Amino acid sequence: MADAVMPTRRLVVTPCDRVPDLWSGTPQQLNHAAAQNALTSPALMAAAPPALRRLLLLFSLLLLASVAAAAEGEEEEEFTEELLLRPLPDRKALAHFHFRSSTPPSAAAGRHHHVFPKAIAQLVQQFHISELELSFTQGRWNYEQWGGYDPMSTNYAKPPGVELWAAFDLPLDEIDATWKNLTHTLSGLFCASINFLESFTAFSAPRWGFKLNEGNLRYGALPREAVCTENLTPWLKLLPCRDKAGIASLLYRPSIYKGYYHSQKLKLTSSQSFGIIIDQTLTVVLQPDTFRGQQLHSTDGQLQPSWSMKDLFNRKLSGKCRVSKSSRVFLEIEKDIVDKSGTEASWTNELFVLSTAPDRVLKELNNMDAQSSSLYEYDVSNYNNDKPLDVGITWKLPLIWSCTPAPYHANRFLMGSGNERGSIALSFRSTNLHKQLFGSSNDCSIKAVVFQVVPWYVKVYYHSLQIFIDGNSKAISEVVDKIHVTPSEDKHLPGTLEMLLRLPCSMESATLSLDFDKGFLHIDEYPPDANQGFDIPSALVTFPEFNSNRSYLETDTLFVSPLLQTFKEDGVVKSYTEVLLVPLTTPDFSMPYNVITFTCTVLALYFGSLLNALRRRIGEEERELKKPAAKCGLIPLLIAKLRGKKVDPPPQGSSPTSLLSTKLLLKVVFVAVVAVSFHYLSNS
Amino acid sequence: MASGRGGIPGPSRALLVLLLPALLMLLAFSTSSSAAASSPGAMHNNNWAVLVCTSRFWFNYRHMANTLSLYRTVKRLGIPDERIILMLADDMACNPRNNYPAQVFNNENHQLNLYGDNVEVDYRGYEVTVENFLRVLTGRHESAVPRSKRLLSDEGSHILLYMTGHGGDEFLKFQDSEELQSHDLADAVKQMKEKHRFKELLIMVDTCQAATLFSQLQSPGVLTIGSSMKGENSYSHHLDSDIGVSVVDRFTFYTLAFFEKLNMYSNASLNSLFNSYNPSMLLSTAYYRMDLYERPLNEVPVTNFFGSVMNTIHTDSAYSGFLAADDIGTIPSTGDNLLNHAVLQNKASQRRSNIEEVKEAQVRSHGWTDVLLEQLDVKNADTIVMYGLGTMGILLAISTWLSM
Repeated sequence: MADAVMPTRRLVVTPCDRVPDLWSGTPQQLNHAAAQNALTSPALMAAAPPALRRLLLLFSLLLLASVAAAAEGEEEEEFTEELLLRPLPDRKALAHFHFRSSTPPSAAAGRHHHVFPKAIAQLVQQFHISELELSFTQGRWNYEQWGGYDPMSTNYAKPPGVELWAAFDLPLDEIDATWKNLTHTLSGLFCASINFLESFTAFSAPRWGFKLNEGNLRYGALPREAVCTENLTPWLKLLPCRDKAGIASLLYRPSIYKGYYHSQKLKLTSSQSFGIIIDQTLTVVLQPDTFRGQQLHSTDGQLQPSWSMKDLFNRKLSGKCRVSKSSRVFLEIEKDIVDKSGTEASWTNELFVLSTAPDRVLKELNNMDAQSSSLYEYDVSNYNNDKPLDVGITWKLPLIWSCTPAPYHANRFLMGSGNERGSIALSFRSTNLHKQLFGSSNDCSIKAVVFQVVPWYVKVYYHSLQIFIDGNSKAISEVVDKIHVTPSEDKHLPGTLEMLLRLPCSMESATLSLDFDKGFLHIDEYPPDANQGFDIPSALVTFPEFNSNRSYLETDTLFVSPLLQTFKEDGVVKSYTEVLLVPLTTPDFSMPYNVITFTCTVLALYFGSLLNALRRRIGEEERELKKPAAKCGLIPLLIAKLRGKKVDPPPQGSSPTSLLSTKLLLKVVFVAVVAVSFHYLSNS
Repeated sequence: MASGRGGIPGPSRALLVLLLPALLMLLAFSTSSSAAASSPGAMHNNNWAVLVCTSRFWFNYRHMANTLSLYRTVKRLGIPDERIILMLADDMACNPRNNYPAQVFNNENHQLNLYGDNVEVDYRGYEVTVENFLRVLTGRHESAVPRSKRLLSDEGSHILLYMTGHGGDEFLKFQDSEELQSHDLADAVKQMKEKHRFKELLIMVDTCQAATLFSQLQSPGVLTIGSSMKGENSYSHHLDSDIGVSVVDRFTFYTLAFFEKLNMYSNASLNSLFNSYNPSMLLSTAYYRMDLYERPLNEVPVTNFFGSVMNTIHTDSAYSGFLAADDIGTIPSTGDNLLNHAVLQNKASQRRSNIEEVKEAQVRSHGWTDVLLEQLDVKNADTIVMYGLGTMGILLAISTWLSM
């Protein structure tokens, strides 16, 4: 099949950066030359002398082959890099890096990859992964301020710590074992303790609460996993340019880890038809350095800082990663601001001005109202070292705006006191979003799916579920449409709760509560800092009727942006709740040591005195004591001590020893003589 | 046995004929060869570093800074990341208490960010346990554990083992909850020795009463240095008032001061490192135990442990050594029979004696098979086979005469 396609491909001239390594120098020029050769070689050959002709033929053939190979590689494996910047209402700025690498399906096991990371290809091949998502997050997405009803919050707001889920293309009975090996491999790949997810107590198999599946999905979360540079290093190594060139060069570690929210994600999709696609995203919420430029006071006295890339990342963008197919920077202006500015989306208006004129402006396609968010696009390939890109926004007027929230703000907290029992409460507060979307009819209802995994040592009694709507207790059957519970088993299985709720539109707030008992761990199972408490991973609340996808008006059919594609995909509104910190009864870890020392002391005292009483012969001891005293005398001993001399050994002692030694010497000599004579005699 | 290898090409078959007497000899001298195998002089050909910070909690910031300083040093001196096992018991760089996110400093002047841009931590947080530490040393892992978390050293490896934390008489605390005892360490090192996991091992410990941790060691090829003697404490060097805690320990601080002056090509010896510790500056006595170590310290460059300076082995063709090793199968593993080796070397000595001297016993077996193959290619193979049979006859005669 590939052969049939070849001739058409040969003539395609691609501005290729990644011609095989033998081209050191100017690959583009050579490529063009090759294409020209391919097109014009018959004419040239006729004109040239035979020797030269042969050389030319050889040369053009060589070039042809390489161009074909390069063109094929270029068409198949792709890498794109994108960055989205967005001002946030609470004086912060959001930066979202999106890198996509894709590779076509390959039958051969040891395929050579050009830009696609080999480690990931091997991972997919070995573990038969059809989908995988791994996120490392620090901080919590602020749903109230930063929005809960846009693609960013539904796809890239993640629970603190590590979250991993994977769907496998395997028979169901092999999945658990594969998951274990996968966690180990990922922990080696990403320098994190993901291998703690291998034990049965750490992962669960949700059926529909998290994502609809046929039992081939596993989910695990480590809420306390630290996220730092060591996790970013291997993540960057998957990019063809690492952080040496292109958009990733903006990732200045101290500034991105200083942010309020930091989420690094790897999403992997693999199938037989389209191959493997990995989306690597990094979402950070930063506080711009506001020391630069003028600031405007909004009405409530707060500053709305003007910022640019230099303020956020401490560096400017000088050119794209050479192997990337496209390299773009977007600046997104929220719908609310566009509404206020009133005019058509231009890069300079009475509210703000952008630092650089954008290459194009994209409008969101929205059927409900005319005004919607707009995207200002910059093509990074137009910028270089001499002319670096520094996208920024300068506010002309103080401004307050807000982001669209999710239908309900979901919060989770603990109730009760003491180390014995408590209860988990999950509360929903209405944001009245449905009124904006569906009008103010009050007899409707909104669906919400709750998914929660609780470790086994928090023993939840699921029968104790209580539901309060606007403060009034409701029967469970009124609110819960569907429920699926996997109760926890001690030291074997975590408890999983999947629940479909139907909440009335008129409701202002709802609270669900579940009682639990706190379990006891074995002394070896406590972590070194057990007194800090134990974390319960975030619960996930999904609103299946609300979709946050956004599509943009595309004038150019060749314009393909993976970032905007993910925005366009089905994005059911989700929000993660807080992580809970449950203090458990911790034993006195030094107790075994104390017990051992006390017992040993008592035993030593008992046996010591017993032995003393049994073994000691008082009369004999006194005799022993008297003997040297009689021989030496007390006064000479004292004098000797005062003079600092050692007490001389009694004179009688020395003569027997010398006598003994001469005897010994004689014996030895005798034995030696006997031996020598025997030897002599036997030999002769 | 020869019939099983029917498919092999001509030269190697001739080689086999030649090797038969060698195999016979091996059988005859098996008792002596086992004695010879126990002291193989494998050549130093790779470097590994295991750097361990055993302390949890923010106030132990300095222990992480110590470890990271050493990490940076060995990386600067040439040990690549895949040969460094870095264990950090807590996250200090992105700790909420750290005023400088993603940065760790070992000096209050904040000139050098130890965390850098490319740090790779292999074991961190709760993973840093005595069990995992001993597993890394002895190489007894679960099968799922990835390569990056394993110490894949061999009998030509020089390993630097650096540990820092809180310790006492014959123990080192891990995570404030368990202890590594001197017996455990000695046992692990002994296992490593028996498994040929190192050629030389330098254990460097910065903790209170560090010297006591080495008291049980018995394995040859181990050199140890500790920051303090029994009954002495190791102290921190200075406090950084911006970070709010002490940032480095004295012993490590002066170790770094020594290394900052060096680069990959310097010839400073271990002796000069050990003599650079001044008890009045350390406020403790650096102790080094060298009775298990054969080489004189003033001849061993520090880069033998802290760097990765490797000797290049010249081979005439690519991978032929491996090819020969596959063919002869059992011979390298059973060890070099000295007499056997001498006989074969006589033939090769015209061309190879000078190269032969450079190579050590580990590569020797590959070397002489190389030579043989060449000879077979160049000269008439039959004559060589005849010579081989002749020597076999002579050797048989000698051995029977000896046994009579």
